Amino acid sequence: MKRIRIDRLSSQLLAATPARPPPSSNRIPRALAASRLSPAPSVCQTRCQSTAASPEVIYEDAGRDVAAPKPIDYSKRPLPSPHPDRALRSAKLAALHARLSLSSKIPLQTLARTLIDPSADAHPRFNNVNLAFVGAALLQYHTSEFLVTRYPRLPMTILFAAMKGYAGVPALHQIARAWGIEAAATPGEEVDPGLLQFAPDRPTVTMNRWGYVRAESKELQRYKWRRGVSSRILYDDAFGELVPGESEQSHDGLELSKQRNTKDMIVEDVAQNAHANFVRAVIGAVYLHCGRDVAKTFAKAHVLSRQLDLANLFNFKLPTRELVRLCARENFDAPVARLLSETGRLSRTPVFVVGIYSGTDKLGEGVGPSLDAARISAAINALKSWYLYSPGDTVGVPSDTLAEDAAPWKPVYVDIGEIIS
Amino acid sequence: MTIRALEKVSVGQNGVGAFILQCKRMDIHYCDYSGSSRGMNAFIKSQLAKFASTHPQIEFAVSPRPRKHPVLTGHYINGKHKSICVKNMDSLQILKKAELLRDASGEKIRKVNKPITSITESVRGVWSPYHGKGMAV
Repeated sequence: MKRIRIDRLSSQLLAATPARPPPSSNRIPRALAASRLSPAPSVCQTRCQSTAASPEVIYEDAGRDVAAPKPIDYSKRPLPSPHPDRALRSAKLAALHARLSLSSKIPLQTLARTLIDPSADAHPRFNNVNLAFVGAALLQYHTSEFLVTRYPRLPMTILFAAMKGYAGVPALHQIARAWGIEAAATPGEEVDPGLLQFAPDRPTVTMNRWGYVRAESKELQRYKWRRGVSSRILYDDAFGELVPGESEQSHDGLELSKQRNTKDMIVEDVAQNAHANFVRAVIGAVYLHCGRDVAKTFAKAHVLSRQLDLANLFNFKLPTRELVRLCARENFDAPVARLLSETGRLSRTPVFVVGIYSGTDKLGEGVGPSLDAARISAAINALKSWYLYSPGDTVGVPSDTLAEDAAPWKPVYVDIGEIIS
Repeated sequence: MTIRALEKVSVGQNGVGAFILQCKRMDIHYCDYSGSSRGMNAFIKSQLAKFASTHPQIEFAVSPRPRKHPVLTGHYINGKHKSICVKNMDSLQILKKAELLRDASGEKIRKVNKPITSITESVRGVWSPYHGKGMAV
């Protein structure tokens, strides 16, 4: 038995430590990509912990091991997510494929990949970041064209809220739950590929969203500066939300990727975000394997067919004043509130019915327990009926003209904008 | 800016747009030895393969449960599960029970005493021919 030379041993360990990635970071080096394609041989680690150091542990020259560190054998490390070949043998995944009525053109491996969040596997070839990016772009496009052509007079703030109600993270989370997605307790190689895999304690990658990082984004976040609607249209993402700048705390020792995008950040609700990204990635996968029209049908069937009552999104601050401005803008007569009927004026529960008239046209009617409340609710109803004008369900959307034998695009009516902005 | 937006999430109704079968997994337990599983063993041998291939949406798990009665368990998307003991049944009866589990929504069984359940409630209710002025024929 050789005598252990502690000083040499420690210097060797110190030299070898920086070469391997820190255990907390989940980044897979590129060399692992090759080893993934062929299943890893199950060789147990030969470097056991016996204190009788084998000859290669102790170096004669302390300087030499700094120059040539021992290569790391990646084949012995567990993969961060299941091997793609295992997707073919997963009953859960096959059931999910059939439950969503996906085309057989979409392979099970792709479906397995849509279930892997970047917090589970940071390698972009094995997680769903890129698919989710494609899916998010498609979904937001179809949602916005659906809303703009169907409701051409929606104010911008309501349009943003409606976009979020249909295609935002909470709605997509609900959709993923309704598809019967279960989350794995912890991501890893041994997990069934049919489970959604994310790690709440590791940073994930938000897709680089459509939008610009504002120069003053740090102050906007810190001091809650006001953002005007026009600048929200111009700079912010599809839901009118600030595109966050680089966050300082996300890069302390948790290296995700240097060359990909620098917008990595820690999201608030990792589970919701992972579910939403899965839905987007499925839409992206449908687009890649089945094409544009099938992806549009899929998004319509699963996302846009859901019910959202847009009349409930409005919260008016000055409805009477806004109605006056609307009538002035449209060259209507100035609105006049008239009492239509009342009951129990002196009782505990009086009811007044007030109509708002412009000339002889009744714009709206409202009910309330006092004259003022009834007048305000009448003004709100009149404004809602203006803003929620719809040309009908049959109005075409611009993406209809992308089909082969489509009729040429007829421009639809879109209003000039808000009354008071 | 006088209009503010409230945040709401869209509500989905299964079958509007897309239909998702609510039963996502079925566990099938049998015993090799005891007589109460005779029908279940015949079901597994003769009918399960066909039933499973016609329902690819459902994940089937067959596992022995020695010295116990045979059980069918359905797991549903809403997180609930439903178990049926199928002791001493023949294979056709078990097939009926499997179809019952397939068709169930996983919701608790509760009394429905309103003619219509809706997410956009009607103010007036259902029209009735027996009330009001009646219909002139």
